[in-house]
Amino acid sequence: MSIAELADRIGSGALTARAAVEESLRRIERAEELNAFISVRPDRALEEADELDRRGPAGPLHGVPMAVKDVLDVAGERTTAGSRILADNVATRDAAAVAALRAAGAVIVGKLNTHEFAYGAMTTSPHFGPARNPWDASRICGGSSGGSGSAAAARLVPATLGTDTAGSIRIPACFCGVTGIRPTTGRVSNRGVVPVSFTLDTVGPLAPSAEDCAVVLEAIAGHDGHDPTTADVPVPSYRDDLGRGVAGLRIGLVRKLVDRADPRIGAAAEAAANELAGLGAHVDEVEVPLLDEAATILQLTLLPEAAEVHLPWLRTRLGDYGADVRVRLLTGLLLPATAAVTGRRARRWFCDQLGDVFARFDVLAAPEMLVLPPKIGEDTVELGGERILYRLSLMPTNSPWTLAGIPIASVPCGFADGLPVGLALAGRRFEEATVLRAAHAFQTVTDWHARRPPVAFDDASSGGVYTRSHSEKGA
Amino acid sequence: MLRALAERQGVHPTDEDLEGVSVFLETVLQRLTDIETALPPETPPAGEPPS
Repeated sequence: MSIAELADRIGSGALTARAAVEESLRRIERAEELNAFISVRPDRALEEADELDRRGPAGPLHGVPMAVKDVLDVAGERTTAGSRILADNVATRDAAAVAALRAAGAVIVGKLNTHEFAYGAMTTSPHFGPARNPWDASRICGGSSGGSGSAAAARLVPATLGTDTAGSIRIPACFCGVTGIRPTTGRVSNRGVVPVSFTLDTVGPLAPSAEDCAVVLEAIAGHDGHDPTTADVPVPSYRDDLGRGVAGLRIGLVRKLVDRADPRIGAAAEAAANELAGLGAHVDEVEVPLLDEAATILQLTLLPEAAEVHLPWLRTRLGDYGADVRVRLLTGLLLPATAAVTGRRARRWFCDQLGDVFARFDVLAAPEMLVLPPKIGEDTVELGGERILYRLSLMPTNSPWTLAGIPIASVPCGFADGLPVGLALAGRRFEEATVLRAAHAFQTVTDWHARRPPVAFDDASSGGVYTRSHSEKGA
Repeated sequence: MLRALAERQGVHPTDEDLEGVSVFLETVLQRLTDIETALPPETPPAGEPPS
């Protein structure tokens, strides 16, 4: 059942918000082994659901249970950012995106696991434990929004919010087999979000389908007068645009990334591009300039920005960081200042050249990840016949689009070894509607996004929204 | 040198921290040299967010 259908059912009185929230809370409890959540707020969520049931329809997310990555503030709840340093940090106000969800009628049931300070792509916090992949609990979910990917894939909630600085929505969406979109940087307010990088951080949704993501994104997108990093650009109706299809859309398949991926992943991405061509899109191969340089250019921006954010704690709480995050932050601290400036100049250089590519194409398509999710505790993966660091494997497919701040979705497009594989679809700045339209068109002719992991719950109706039985529809 | 630079900023890393930083920095700085060489000299910095 889609989010829109769920909200309609609650709005029409066929189901209460309380029943939807109760079912979500039951699922969270039963799927505790996934460690997707850092905290759950059952009593407050039920009170809020009761209030919605009394008041009547509140908006497009009326009564829909949702959960947010634990870097977004929820008033009265802890925002730990997966860290020891913020373990007792209680938020006094909602983050802007959380407030927008509530205004649309959503009920926040809890806060989701994250890589420490959202600064890493594994979600294996030394402080809160690893979030587990619902397709294989011995493997990582990716990150840093790992709990968001895990919870959405297991259908613990209909949708989640994550944040993406350098791939942190797309990677877990890919590894967990759900749809996730990093909107244009500046499209969604970052107010009330624990920052990693002021020029890269972006809030966005993860959910089974592009249609679900469109509903959630529409609720949270828009200018925020209290966040100078947001853009004053009108937000279209993403849902209204979904059905327009891809006929005539010019899609560029990034051949270099297809060839660099695990062959099974590359083949899935190519097959997905063929599906889109079958729907009327003009698909051509494209070469993206500076693709190999993008990862370094991104690091030149990200490392010093993150170090600057954390400097007060680096001085006073250095020993409280996990080892990987500590080294990353210290590297940013000790990087020469000229490197950061070179990084900003090179970022412009890259964006200008990517702009030329987008003059010829409306959407770029590529594998979202080159590899399958590694086992928890492993920090290397096999790629191209050699073992490389996992964090290096994710850069070629994530850094370029991140640098440009363009909207990009990860869409399930197949399986390898029983694990989901994702297709990345990127568009021009502020053209989330085009990306979502392409993703939706793909999902109208494929069912990869509808497949459920072994631990997922089935949301076929049993007199309510949800059933309590484990699904038998694993891939 | 790395330790002195960190301590001058009020940060006190361990030997193990600095070993990890040194490896990471070496990789980034090597690649930075290539980018400095290739970057057209007239390129201004990106705005925020990049235009």
